[in-house]
Amino acid sequence: MNEYLTPLCVSLKTVSTTMVVTVILGILAARWMARYHGRLKPLIDGIFILPLVLPPTVVGLVLLLTFGKNGPMGQLFSLLDTTVVFSWPATVISATVVSFPLMYMTARSAFELVDRDIEDVARTLGAGKWHVFRTVTLPLARPGIIAGAVLCFARSLGEFGATLMLAGNIPGKTTTLPVAIYFEIQAGHMDQALYLTAIVIFISFTSLVCLAYLRTPRRKTKTVPEIV
Amino acid sequence: MLEVKIKRALPGFSLDVGFSVDGDILGILGPSGSGKTMTLKCIAGLIQPDEGLIKLNNRVLFDSSKSLNLSPQVRKVGLVLQNYGLFPHLTASKNIAYGIRNSTRSEINDRVSVLIEKMGLNGLEHRYPRQLSAGQQQRVAIARALAPGPEVLLMDEPFSALDSVTKEQMELELLGIRDFYKGSIILVTHNLAEAYRLSSRLAIYESGRIAQCDHKEKIICSPASRKVAKMLKIRNYLDGFVSDISDSSVWVTIPELNTRLMVSANGRNRLAANQRVTIGVFPDYVRIEEGPGQNALLSSLDYMNNSVSTVNYRFSLKTVSGRGVSIETVLPKSEARFLLPGQECYLYLPPDHVAVIDS
Repeated sequence: MNEYLTPLCVSLKTVSTTMVVTVILGILAARWMARYHGRLKPLIDGIFILPLVLPPTVVGLVLLLTFGKNGPMGQLFSLLDTTVVFSWPATVISATVVSFPLMYMTARSAFELVDRDIEDVARTLGAGKWHVFRTVTLPLARPGIIAGAVLCFARSLGEFGATLMLAGNIPGKTTTLPVAIYFEIQAGHMDQALYLTAIVIFISFTSLVCLAYLRTPRRKTKTVPEIV
Repeated sequence: MLEVKIKRALPGFSLDVGFSVDGDILGILGPSGSGKTMTLKCIAGLIQPDEGLIKLNNRVLFDSSKSLNLSPQVRKVGLVLQNYGLFPHLTASKNIAYGIRNSTRSEINDRVSVLIEKMGLNGLEHRYPRQLSAGQQQRVAIARALAPGPEVLLMDEPFSALDSVTKEQMELELLGIRDFYKGSIILVTHNLAEAYRLSSRLAIYESGRIAQCDHKEKIICSPASRKVAKMLKIRNYLDGFVSDISDSSVWVTIPELNTRLMVSANGRNRLAANQRVTIGVFPDYVRIEEGPGQNALLSSLDYMNNSVSTVNYRFSLKTVSGRGVSIETVLPKSEARFLLPGQECYLYLPPDHVAVIDS
């Protein structure tokens, strides 16, 4: 039983940490880009969305070069006496990088749909920028942000290629569900692979159903009488 | 007292205006794209002018010479936008309460319920904006703008989204807020009738400049230019010069018609002898007379056409050179006369209701 549960635990830990990081980074980046109209917009946009379209091996290699012993981030971490490669944080880093574009794109279109006039009026009513963001922009963009978070959850749960390259396969530490499935098949343990596959399908499918449910406009349960 | 003097240059458009409002209602009238909304956004602090000075009751809101630019949240400027900009995720009373700060919960509730009562929103407190009619939404927007106690209220085309019946009702209600809001109001509109009914003074905008800013009656008596007169919907123009001035009347000679028209001097800018002027007359004021007399011009009918409740006429005047000068007239159907094309009659221009435009 333990060999099934361990990858699930690692995955859930990775996914939940990734979601916190990605949702915060995604909201900040999306908010900034939704109101930024400078010349560099297409360039920055391209950089943010790139991990979505790159092959996992390319993302993995770039991450290895960045976080490896001689990479810029790797050297930074070695000053702190830690290495990222083949450690649990590596699963979070690769999942964050590949799921960030989904969060960013959904949240950005949600922010772009928020009426600028409404935010402007809020400011004339004595609200500072941060207060306006918290009380007006964020609530109005909430459906998009929730959708982005759900997509980010599903994507980071399914992350395989980059994770394998950066975090490797250390059972109980970096072996997430998709990685575990791959190695179970390699070892010829078909039953265990199928069992883990069922878990992944179940969680991913449930999250997408929840998303679809959230996106369906609910029918008005209560009609308010018209007062003229 | 709000004093505004601002400049802002954009590619293809520049705004350069100056005016002041002191406890009254100033109507900013002009075609779309003339910089009216930009002016309001500059006052509210949502757009920064390139240079100038904005002062509100001795507080400097913006001063380019001192690089001073207060942020919108400390300006105490109430803003009601064309589409109201209500918070869709908040109920009517929460919308109104949004701007009330530094108060206890019960103070906020009191203030909100007073505004709910005054704006006639009783029973709608817990509705969301989408559950309110356009008129109710506007009342919420006005209440919300007034709730923090602004020192000036800016309204951008507040009635353009309303049907005509609701619009009349809302105009009355807007004048009703004067009972409890004594500050200045700036009302931006492209509708002359609305601006006239609601404001005491008008600023006529023309591609980023103020063509004229004065008391509304003064503008109607003495438009600063043909363009202003056209914006006021004055349709009939006669060129001439001042030939004689007395205490109460001014005589304007129209060479083309070989006649002198008398206009009253009351409430007008001072005119000088031999000054070149254009006489402008609203179609509604031109009367059709049988016989000759002072200010009665011989003319013949070009055509007449029926409208819903009025009849519109167009006449040609008998000119010295034979060049066509036409005069348009509108009469209510109850007073309309049937004329045949080419039929001659006299058009009377009442001295009290003639605009004199400096040309």
